[in-house]
Formats: sequence, structure tokens, C-alpha cells
Amino acid sequence: MSTSRPVTEPDVHDNGDDNDEGTGDVDAAADDGRPPSRRGRRRRRRGRLPSARIVVAALLALTLLAGVGLFVRAAQLEDSGATGNLALADADATDAVAGEVTDILRTVFSYTPETIEETERRAGELLAGPAAEEYSELMAEVRDLAADQQLTLTTTVVRAGVRDLTEDRAHLLVFLDQVAERAGEDPTTTAAQLSVTAQRGEDRWQVTEITSR
Amino acid sequence: MVRTLRKNALLVTALLLALVAAIGATGATFSWYDASHDETADFAKARDDALAAARQGVQNLNTLDHADFDAGMDLWLDSTTGDLHEQLEEGRDAFAEQVGQAESVTTAEVVSAAVTELDERAGRAGVIVAVRITVTLPDEEPDTKTSRMLGELTRTSEGWKISGLDQAPVG
Repeated sequence: MSTSRPVTEPDVHDNGDDNDEGTGDVDAAADDGRPPSRRGRRRRRRGRLPSARIVVAALLALTLLAGVGLFVRAAQLEDSGATGNLALADADATDAVAGEVTDILRTVFSYTPETIEETERRAGELLAGPAAEEYSELMAEVRDLAADQQLTLTTTVVRAGVRDLTEDRAHLLVFLDQVAERAGEDPTTTAAQLSVTAQRGEDRWQVTEITSR
Repeated sequence: MVRTLRKNALLVTALLLALVAAIGATGATFSWYDASHDETADFAKARDDALAAARQGVQNLNTLDHADFDAGMDLWLDSTTGDLHEQLEEGRDAFAEQVGQAESVTTAEVVSAAVTELDERAGRAGVIVAVRITVTLPDEEPDTKTSRMLGELTRTSEGWKISGLDQAPVG
């Protein structure tokens, strides 16, 4: 993306100075009291050296200046806030995180007595941070209950909206429905609205915070 | 001597050409960057404006005091456009009667909201909003519940306004 932060900032002035000093050294070496003939030859050779060096130095300086200019401009724009948020502005990235978070929530909050262990195993990969800790605590309570009541929970995501998105972090608002079926009872549907924080892991998003609103 | 000069001339020419190319590339990079960034910035601003309008609009449309019906209703009309605006205008009198009889006071607080769709050129946006609504009836404890709303916004000459608002379906 055009707003990515520069890793390093090259320093134009130092590089320029180094090249100038190099040219100066050649001049100083010329006044060494050698015979005029050799000195003349030397001067001719020097005649093309400085011009080439100056052009190279100018090129380097300009290229670096352009680089620094871009970095400074990018940093200024990033500070403005609105453009730092890629939600919807980067449609593909927005769809990707919304889709992945939808899949994660559906997966970790759907189980039958038979699949609850598999659900927990997968949650270990899909959740991280506080969300993972809270999920473990929740499931410790639910595990026995699910077996006793023959509980099946099915979660569907009604809507997911990305509020804020950077390359490695996203905040979403998610509407989801949960249908709980217990042996010998009518199914009950619960509507929920969650604030979700996701972080980009090595090759996929992980949900790190879930807050019921 | 002649060969050296020619060599020098060649070298200098080559470097000058490279310099010109570098300057050109720099300029092109800047103009490309500015152009693409202006578009992104405009889009981001439209998104943030629509979201702010949605939050305020949804709060307005879930706030009404029977004792101050006209002011509340004016705010509703001010927050809306299109079909929704017309519906509210048409239903105003009947609604005033209902609210007057119930003596209800409704307040709202937007908990969270997100823009889910944005067509900047057409001036249309879709939002989802979680809003905590408290209804107070005479001689009753206030009742608070969170609602999930799906909204549609349309850009008008006075900024973004709500053109459609529904509860998100359950089940």
C-alpha cells in the first residue's frame, strides 16, 4: 500500500558531504611539488574525475532526496488518521478479514457433543491473546454441560462490518445468531452483537479480543 | 588526447541522461502518488463522514420524549432523506398520538457501528449499528436492550442522511 511506513530514512546530507570531501582530497594531492610535466598529466586526469564524481554525487543526492520526500509525505498522510484506516478503501483486504473473522466465529462457537473437542482444538489455532484465554475458561464450563444436556450450538454470522483496518490489525462489529438445541427441548435463538479485534498472524488472521455489546 | 575527450564527453552525456531520467522518474512518482492518494483520501473521508452521520442519525431516530414530541420529530426528519423521510412525515400525526398516549420517553446510545458498503460516486452507504435503547414508561422501570440495526445512507447537499433503517433479522 502507498501508506506503508518506511523502515529506514536515508540521510541525504551525509552522503553528499562524503562525496564533496573526496573531490577535495584529489585537489590537495596535486600540490605535492612534483615536476610540471607529470603534474600536467595528473591535472588532465583530474579534469574528468571531478565532473564525473559531481554528477554521480548529484544523482545520488537527488535520488535520496526523492526517497526522503516520499517518506516524509507518506508519514504526514498517515498521521491524518482517515487514510491510515484501510477499511473499505482496500476492498480486497476488507473482504478478506471480514470473511476470515466470520469463519473463525462460526467455527469456534459451533459444536455438538461429538465435535466439541475438535472445535476446541481448532479454536486453539484461530484464537489468540485474551480471546483464547476467555474461550478456554468458557469451554471448561461448557464441556461437561454440553455432554449432560446433549447441547448443540450453531452460530451464524448475520453481518460483519470492518470498522478499522491496518495491515496487521482489524476491529470489527459482528452481528451473530446462536441456535442452542438441547435434547427434549425446543431450540432457542440468541441474537448477539460483538466487538471483535483481529490480528494478522504469519499467514492468517486470528481473533484476539471478543467483547459482547 | 582526442580519445580521452571523447570518452569524457560520452561519460558526461550518459550521466546527464541518467540525471534527466532520474528527475523525470521522481516527478512521475510524486504525481502518481498524489493522484492515487487523493482518491484514497476522498474515499476515506466519505466513509468516515457516512459513519459519523449514521451514528448520530441512529441515535436521533431512537430518541423521543412524549413531552417534547415536535422537537424530537423535527430531528428525526432532519436526520433522514428519501422514502424514510416521507414515511416519517406522513405518519407524524398518528405517531404523535401513540407516543402521547403511552407517555413514553426513549433514549439511545450507539454502542458500535461500521460502514459495510460505500459507493462514493453514487453517494450511497450501508451501515450496521449496535444501539442501546432505553424506553421509560410511566410507573415502570426503564427497560434497556441492545438493538442491531441495518441502515442505508444517502448523500444530500446537507451531508449524509439516513434513507433506510431496519432491525437486523434474527434467525
